[in-house]
Amino acid sequence: MKEMIRLLLALTLIAAGAGLILSQVENATREPIKEQRRLQMLKALSAVLPAFDNSPDTDTITQQNGVDKKDRPVEVVFYRGRSAGQLVGTAFKVVAPDGYSGNINVMVGVAPDDKIIGIEILTHAETPGLGSKISESGFKDQFKGRSLDNVDWRVKKDGGEFDQITGATISPRAVVGAVKKGLEFYREHKAEITAEGVTK
Amino acid sequence: MSLAKDFSKGIWKENAVFKLLLGMCPVLAVTTSAENGLGMGLATTFVLVCSNIVVALMRKVIPSGVRIPAFIIIIATFVTVVQLCMEAWVYDLYQALGISIPLIVVNCLILGRAEAFASKNPVVSSVADGMGMGIGFTLGLFILGSVREIFGSGAILGFNLFGASFQPIILMILPPGAFITLGLLLALMSRMSRDKSKKTASEGHCC
Amino acid sequence: MVELFVILVSAVFVNNFVLARFLGICPFLGVSKKVETALGMGMAVIFVMTVASVVTWFIQYLILIPFGIEYLQTIAFILVIASLVQLVEMVIQKTSPVLYQSLGIFLPLITTNCAVLGVAVLNIQKDYTFLQSVVFSMGAGLGFTLAMVLFAGLRERIDLSPVPKSFQGTAIALVTAGLLSLAFMGFAGLVKG
Repeated sequence: MKEMIRLLLALTLIAAGAGLILSQVENATREPIKEQRRLQMLKALSAVLPAFDNSPDTDTITQQNGVDKKDRPVEVVFYRGRSAGQLVGTAFKVVAPDGYSGNINVMVGVAPDDKIIGIEILTHAETPGLGSKISESGFKDQFKGRSLDNVDWRVKKDGGEFDQITGATISPRAVVGAVKKGLEFYREHKAEITAEGVTK
Repeated sequence: MSLAKDFSKGIWKENAVFKLLLGMCPVLAVTTSAENGLGMGLATTFVLVCSNIVVALMRKVIPSGVRIPAFIIIIATFVTVVQLCMEAWVYDLYQALGISIPLIVVNCLILGRAEAFASKNPVVSSVADGMGMGIGFTLGLFILGSVREIFGSGAILGFNLFGASFQPIILMILPPGAFITLGLLLALMSRMSRDKSKKTASEGHCC
Repeated sequence: MVELFVILVSAVFVNNFVLARFLGICPFLGVSKKVETALGMGMAVIFVMTVASVVTWFIQYLILIPFGIEYLQTIAFILVIASLVQLVEMVIQKTSPVLYQSLGIFLPLITTNCAVLGVAVLNIQKDYTFLQSVVFSMGAGLGFTLAMVLFAGLRERIDLSPVPKSFQGTAIALVTAGLLSLAFMGFAGLVKG
């Protein structure tokens, strides 16, 4: 019994020491981690928005779009880029759930005239060398200047105008479909999104 | 003299990847490129050296009955430290390695060294042992990553080697490529050092 | 319901834990010389994985998140798995000597099987509900068992074949595993998970 207590005591002390060290490290890295996430977000935003002089990652408006599998509301955040106070573009994230292997997250930037400024693939798990080509500029650049009205939103194989990738049709199809849905949601809520609200 | 030996044995003679076949999960999972292999190797080395230091320091206070759980707590602590630091300062690598980082905990190379070496030796030689083993592990990951990257994407550390006309063998960076490349490397090595050693893989049960 | 089925099939075939995610490689290479032992190991892993994912799921959502200490996840999970394996071993030994005889020797090896910790972490990362976690873990275990048994069958055949000297041992086993993994890639795109 005494031996048992000794062992438990030793383990408890080690665990307590570990907890202490980790809480210190967590404290020290909390701010840098937050900053990293912000930088990543800003990097994606600058890739899909024209030059801006505000912080689009804080100038946001949130719209609800249905609920997810855990019955939590799905929120779409719209990031607004401004230059000299004028709205120059709005960016938002869309998710393509029907990629070849898992979700594809895409950031889309839209100009005030509803045309796409650019898209950026944030994360994907598509096959390297095939589906992964969706993150190359040859594929992404096709979206520039497109809007819901000036192009057929399908890949060429399905009769539309977007080039698929040789050997991989599913990934481009998923991205094109997701961007189109995102644009439709944007158009429905455009009035609220582009309202000259005060910066949050 | 023996300090140098503690250090150097892990680099080649008892190389974790090619000779002991320890910690195979990260070896196969993250070596899609040389850079990922290098990053994973260094992260593992850090955890290995730190846990060796602490285990060696505490080798006389830890009761042997709870030795293994105590080692696991120590290792898990350093893994979390690495995880947090990587997320804070090398975010891209953190993203690329993904779930392999928390899984360093169950890399039996680390627990193995704690149990077989650090718990019986003083701090200085434990550091040498950890460094040697870690560098050997990193070397193995780097070699495997390089081979797969050269053939699978025609590049090394991101630099394009063959120009646009090169058709990469995509298979090499897909999962089957990991198994096949390592198998071929092992065969090559056994071919080169056939008569010297009659080694076969140890019966490992952990990752 | 359909979603659960998709998760299951995806975990067993498409993203097979061993052949596509590289989790649990060491038992895959180490305990796969005979079909029988491979099957025993697989059963033990299915069982421990499912129990572990139930417990870690509750730990994550009832303890770590409410107290804001998610950074202790790795430590908490590995400790839970280690004690769980001990507990399961003791319970089985007491209640069912027959089961203990077939699974007993594999249980201590499972603590450091990264597939178990991997499934616990993935459940959280993929933001699965409780039921989805359970299904995913069972699928992962089944996939592990399937890969083990197939691979053990192949190795039994290899033992009878003339293998070039340089390839004997682990080298030929790894190349075989590669071909098996290649075959499993044929399942990709079967379901989207």
